[in-house]
Amino acid sequence: MMLKIDNLNVHYGAIHALQGISFELEKGEIVALIGANGAGKSTTLNTISGILRPREGSVLFQGQPIHEMPPQEIVRKGIVHVPEGRKIFPRMTVWENLEMGAYTQSDRATINRDIESAFERFSRLKERRNQVSGTLSGGEQQMLAIARGLMAHPTLLLLDEPSMGLSPILVEQIFDIIQDINEQGTSILLVEQNAQMALAIADRAYVLETGKIVMQGSGDELLENPSVIEAYLGGH
Amino acid sequence: MKTATRNGFQTGITFGVIVVTMFLIGFTVIGAALVAKIFGTSVSSGSIPPLPFFVIFISLVGLWNGATAARRPLTGADEFKPALVAGLLAGLVTGIFSAVVALVFGMLAANKIDVRTYLVAISPESIKMYLFGQDAVTGSLLSLVLLTVSSVAGSALAVTLRTNAKVRGFFQKAAESYTNAIHSERAIKLRNNPSARYAFLALVAAALIILPRTWGGYWNYVLGTVGIYIILGLGLNIITGWAGQLVIGYVAFFAVGAYTFALLTAPAPHHLMWNFWLALILGVLAAGISGLLIGLPILNLRGDYLAIVTLGAAEIVRILLKSDLMTPYTAGPRGIRDIGGPTLFGRSFTSDVDFMYLIIIAVLVVSFLAYRLQNSRTGKAWVAVNQDETVARATGINAYTSKLLALALSAAIAGLAGALFASRNQFTGPDDHQLMVAINVICLVIVGGIGNIPGVFLGAFALKGLPEVLREIENYRMLVFGILLIVMMRLRPEGFLPAKRPALEKNTPPSGQEA
Ligand SMILES: Nc1ncnc2c1ncn2[C@@H]1O[C@H](COP(=O)(O)OP(=O)(O)O)[C@@H](O)[C@H]1O
Ligand SMILES: [Mg+2]
Repeated sequence: MMLKIDNLNVHYGAIHALQGISFELEKGEIVALIGANGAGKSTTLNTISGILRPREGSVLFQGQPIHEMPPQEIVRKGIVHVPEGRKIFPRMTVWENLEMGAYTQSDRATINRDIESAFERFSRLKERRNQVSGTLSGGEQQMLAIARGLMAHPTLLLLDEPSMGLSPILVEQIFDIIQDINEQGTSILLVEQNAQMALAIADRAYVLETGKIVMQGSGDELLENPSVIEAYLGGH
Repeated sequence: MKTATRNGFQTGITFGVIVVTMFLIGFTVIGAALVAKIFGTSVSSGSIPPLPFFVIFISLVGLWNGATAARRPLTGADEFKPALVAGLLAGLVTGIFSAVVALVFGMLAANKIDVRTYLVAISPESIKMYLFGQDAVTGSLLSLVLLTVSSVAGSALAVTLRTNAKVRGFFQKAAESYTNAIHSERAIKLRNNPSARYAFLALVAAALIILPRTWGGYWNYVLGTVGIYIILGLGLNIITGWAGQLVIGYVAFFAVGAYTFALLTAPAPHHLMWNFWLALILGVLAAGISGLLIGLPILNLRGDYLAIVTLGAAEIVRILLKSDLMTPYTAGPRGIRDIGGPTLFGRSFTSDVDFMYLIIIAVLVVSFLAYRLQNSRTGKAWVAVNQDETVARATGINAYTSKLLALALSAAIAGLAGALFASRNQFTGPDDHQLMVAINVICLVIVGGIGNIPGVFLGAFALKGLPEVLREIENYRMLVFGILLIVMMRLRPEGFLPAKRPALEKNTPPSGQEA
């Protein structure tokens, strides 16, 4: 078991944002976490990556508890979080952003090689390598955020709504890239509001509602589940 | 049209503040005298230059006002009209500012009330000149008319020059030939040629060695102070420019360095008389540790707590140094005398030239350190934390220790500056460590271009060198700095030398929507 979340409880002051959620992710899987706005998806990822502390419950990564570690150590364990909202360093160039992503790496040659392979995967970034990244388009910023995450050689990638606010064509591209990253051996925990696309590429998925997991199953099962269709797939 | 109105209005307010301030600090007289000088008429200091020169001076200000109001974003199909509107509005607004002040002071003067008790620079004669020799009402109306007319003229002139093909062609050509010269193969070769480089460095080194010996004690004093402010600026730039944590009471660390050094080397109050270099190192360390101690409980909080806490620390330090309580330990309000100077191989080096050399070396060392830090992993981590702390942590940066290190380094550098300052002056007291020192440093970093190393040099020369040269405005430094900052923020929000050339538009959101 790569990731095992057990009875996780997270509070923001009086708000009980995660109310005892438990789920798992096997090595090599894409697991999707879907749910409405405010369900607690981002909170879950922030807790796994160490930005938030749970009040109760545990996060085991490769058998080791990590819920009390600071984020910088969790990154070094191999979990990389690409936060919600195309978060890049807006005043750094594309190249510098990628370099920052490799902050935990120390070998210069490897870093340069990784940047080149990022440019292979994201060819639009290559042309813009010296552009200040705050001036990139939304899609390019999202690509950069993912590329930067990959620079740290994650074994588990946490993606928070990578398709948010992108045009259908770009969404398609992003999901292709996610699948490709997964095929190259990186496990992925994918948070999405775009349930259709997420379930289509996910091995398994969990549905989160107001801080609780209410449903789970394989991606295909949930795509056909009437109540999922009703609530998240536009009710056809 | 909307931009035109807004531009005109905002520029008008900025220039209104400038004109009023110039009047209040007596700069209208100096300005008119400068104009007179250009026309070959010398005016003895203290007397009032002839009226025509004042008219020219105010008209120049008006022209500038109009030209500024009609600046770039007004490009469109018919540029001329919106530009004139902007110029007219700016002129009217500035004119109203000026007229109100003219009216008030004219009335006061007419009633024989001398305002010099409060505003030393405003003599009855200078008021009379500001009113063009007329009574209060006529004079202020004239002021309004002159500023409006000249501003409209300024905007018309600016647009004409800008749209005139010939003029444009000239500037384009000039710019092209300049960039061509810089990027020409010969220039690049010259720059990459190691012996040319060494020759250039040798030239600079020779200048730095010879100049302090030749230009005399006064300049060594003035430029020594500039050097110390460069060091302070480079130090503050680390925590505020790069790591993005505003430090208001930076002078607290300067004081710790200065006092540690002074107490260790002076004959009183402790008679320790330690070696200069040892005391210098301890001064730097003490300041660095004080930075660490202040940062430890604060830097893991988000928000500008550091600004407030350092502000408090600076005041506490100053009050403690002044208090009777501390007099036996720190010599109290009278300060510490006969602070030690540098020694090397048993000889002491304490002439003004020696100190100038010492400060030059310190500036070089700190600049080198700053450059190395800027390009290091640590430096990049600071910038990352500054731009987005959450993402920075997600990429594996320990934001807390990173900021802590920045603060400790900044504080240590301030300590170095403080120790050098105390040693050169052979004296330090509580008055050397007023908040004004820190404000000066913040100003010079902002004016030069926050986060930029050459900018710190520029800012230090502009803010600490120029005022020494223009002694007249000394009493109004605060006022002038305030105005300079406001004008800077409006015209060049990132400073004269911004840290990153392809700057973002002022209002572009930094990235996608927030969570
Ligand atoms: N920083 C915060 N402070 C207080 N409440 C928060 C904070 N962040 C999220 N919440 C609350 O926690 C709940 C879960 O939020 P979040 O995890 O962001 O949801 P999702 O990512 O699924 O849209 C929501 O009710 C939200 O209002
Ligand atoms: Mg969210």
